[in-house]
Amino acid sequence: MQVAVPGPWSPLFGRLTLAAIPYDNPILVATFAGVAVVGLVVVAAVLYYKKLGYLWREWLTTVDHKKIGVMYVILGLVMLLRGFADALMIRTQQAMAIGPNSPGVLGAQHGYLPPFHFDQVYSAHGTAMILFAATPILTGLTNIVVPLQIGARDMAFPYMNALSLWLTVAGAALVMISLFVGDFSAAGWVGLIPLTELPYSPGVGVDYWMWAIQISSIGTTLNAINMIVTIIKMRAPGMGWFRLPVFTWTTLSTNIIGLTAFPVLGVALALLGADRYLGAHFYTAGNGGNLMLYTNLFWIWGHPEVYFLVLPAFGIMSEIIPTFSEKPLFGYTTMVAATFAIAGISWAVWLHHFFTMAAGPDVNGFFSIATMLVGIPTGVKVFNWMFTLYRGRLTFATPMLWCLYGLFLLLAGGITGMMLAIPAINYTVHNSVFVIAHFHCMVLLVVTAIFAAVAYWFPKVFGFALNETLGRGFFWTFSTATTITFLAMFALGFEGETRRLDYIYDPAWRPMLWTEEFGIALYCVSLVYFVLMLYVSLRDRVPAAADPWHSARTLEFLTPSPVPFYNFAVTPEVNARDELAWRRQHGLEHARPEAFEPIHMPSNSGLSFITGMCALAMGFGLIWRIWWLAGAGLLGIVLVVIIRSFDKNLGYEIQPAEVAAMEEDLSLGGIIAEQPKRAPLTEAEAH
Amino acid sequence: MSAPHTNPLDHPEVRMASAWRYISGFIASMVLMQAAFIVTLRQHPPYEQYALTIAGLALASLVSQAALFFGLDISRAQIWKSVSLVLTVPLFVLSVGLTVWMFQSLAARTMLMPATTMQPTLLQ
Repeated sequence: MQVAVPGPWSPLFGRLTLAAIPYDNPILVATFAGVAVVGLVVVAAVLYYKKLGYLWREWLTTVDHKKIGVMYVILGLVMLLRGFADALMIRTQQAMAIGPNSPGVLGAQHGYLPPFHFDQVYSAHGTAMILFAATPILTGLTNIVVPLQIGARDMAFPYMNALSLWLTVAGAALVMISLFVGDFSAAGWVGLIPLTELPYSPGVGVDYWMWAIQISSIGTTLNAINMIVTIIKMRAPGMGWFRLPVFTWTTLSTNIIGLTAFPVLGVALALLGADRYLGAHFYTAGNGGNLMLYTNLFWIWGHPEVYFLVLPAFGIMSEIIPTFSEKPLFGYTTMVAATFAIAGISWAVWLHHFFTMAAGPDVNGFFSIATMLVGIPTGVKVFNWMFTLYRGRLTFATPMLWCLYGLFLLLAGGITGMMLAIPAINYTVHNSVFVIAHFHCMVLLVVTAIFAAVAYWFPKVFGFALNETLGRGFFWTFSTATTITFLAMFALGFEGETRRLDYIYDPAWRPMLWTEEFGIALYCVSLVYFVLMLYVSLRDRVPAAADPWHSARTLEFLTPSPVPFYNFAVTPEVNARDELAWRRQHGLEHARPEAFEPIHMPSNSGLSFITGMCALAMGFGLIWRIWWLAGAGLLGIVLVVIIRSFDKNLGYEIQPAEVAAMEEDLSLGGIIAEQPKRAPLTEAEAH
Repeated sequence: MSAPHTNPLDHPEVRMASAWRYISGFIASMVLMQAAFIVTLRQHPPYEQYALTIAGLALASLVSQAALFFGLDISRAQIWKSVSLVLTVPLFVLSVGLTVWMFQSLAARTMLMPATTMQPTLLQ
């Protein structure tokens, strides 16, 4: 039943041989050297400062939603950097390989990347950016913010929260390992069928892509369950449904999408795995298979995934715009309704990704109209934000600047999206870079919202704000780079440039391609600003107040900065929709409880981290067909599940005196503080 | 101090199933899946009857797993889970229904071949 693969195979190493290490590729060797140096510096620093124990006790084994959220965001930023490096390589290749007389270096006939390497780069770019950068960062932000916004101590299932993170890390690690061991998929981030089938991609690239997504998407699905239960069951007293902050509403709708959509991706990839590993014929052209089944299944997940990304971005904007307009959000109820309308319609639009597949005009017409319907609730949101801004007392801090630029991107991406929703236009520009420019407007809207959110909530988590001057430099360079790059790309799309070109056959496109390259260079400048912003902010660490913006409206800004690991010393009673604004209005924002009660907290556990590492070993074993390693990884996961099932750890309690001390000295309970070892509760104490 | 929450047997809303339910659920799932596998391999009945048989076996499998593994019913403790499952039905109908419609349209326009060699779609 198992399919024979070309090349050598041994029981010990499977398909893995020394030839899989790309030591003859100077680009990858240089990258490896860079990664190795940075990795060694980090490891040496951890050992030199004797922080290995701290790292294990406080981070790798943590179940604290804020630390897990921060690790999600760090993972996402690393992958964002990786995806950006891929973008830089794509743009540079296209700027170099123009016309038949363009020179070639490093083994390429034109430019510097041979076609197979170029194909891997754009495949990795999409996969890294969407699944391992945007998705984890947004998951991290919701992890950090939502429990605080609803007045909860933690997520509903803290252990499962850590498990979700480590499964995502395992998936991202596979993408990174593929850089230096073997190769990555050359079939696009969507997995173009039948290119992903074994006869057309006999290497391990597609397997890396497939297992990385499969493992991480289990983590995302588990997180969706966790988030939905948290919002439904863990709200503080008085936090009724229509007092929920809009970011929490969008998180709820996003995770309903995640819970219902990600299993479809899992099935689509499992069937592909059956084809590649077991010789099944789900997606082959003959033997009862159907190529389009894959495309259909992929986009049944793929389009809801777009809203999985964009709805939290809308939620972030709905929090930040009122704060910096010093007004309540205009049209709260319609905002919530629009959020769920978008989520609902997201399930009936996926076919617009393949209008040109040859479905009849009735089918294309249905999906065209359904797609256009998305514009109505989105328009409601835009008008609500504009009416919030109207006659507001506006402050243009960096989070606000990012949101306003996000509005511009939403307009550009939304209008071109309406164009693409018309099948006749879609037939004309299908597969051109016009489509790429359109969806980059949308995903960059997500990225701008992410940077807005990072700047907005950073002081809450770490107790000091990001440097505003360098933040503005970062904003202006990044937004200018985005505008330049993608305006040029829209123009190239109209001129007929198709996507994924490693060689540009029409020299007339040179000016616009070089304009794009200039935009990418400006992105590099923005990256320098970003790093400087982090460095200067960390160096200066100017303490932030509980409400660092002095006009925040929601519950999370009621907690001190940095927020202690137990979140609220006393579970808050919620009186209004914008609780902090209500308390400010009534002179209660500085009110402190007279007495504290013991706080019950979950204990840390290393089992979720071990599960993630077992999943990584299993994935690596499956990719290289090292069956013993895959089996050992799976066995490890099963053993951990059994061990966890018999684990009777009931958590621990923080006593009132300790809570009072930590409320007095915030550094004792902050995110970087090391906590003393606390004994778990006994069965009798728990009762 | 929080309420006792260490024993799942005290909480019917989180208690899943008993040994006999797990065993019988496992047997029911295996038998139904195996039956579907055999029916698919043989493909003796006419296409329409075959599709209905497969759909029926899938539904029976789903119901047996929901009832035996997850203990879903309409009791006060379980109704919210049962309702959650029912709420996925519209999504199921939407995604499967639109997929069937699309493939039917696609087959008519791209799979032009003699009727005798053509595999019918679910709408034909």
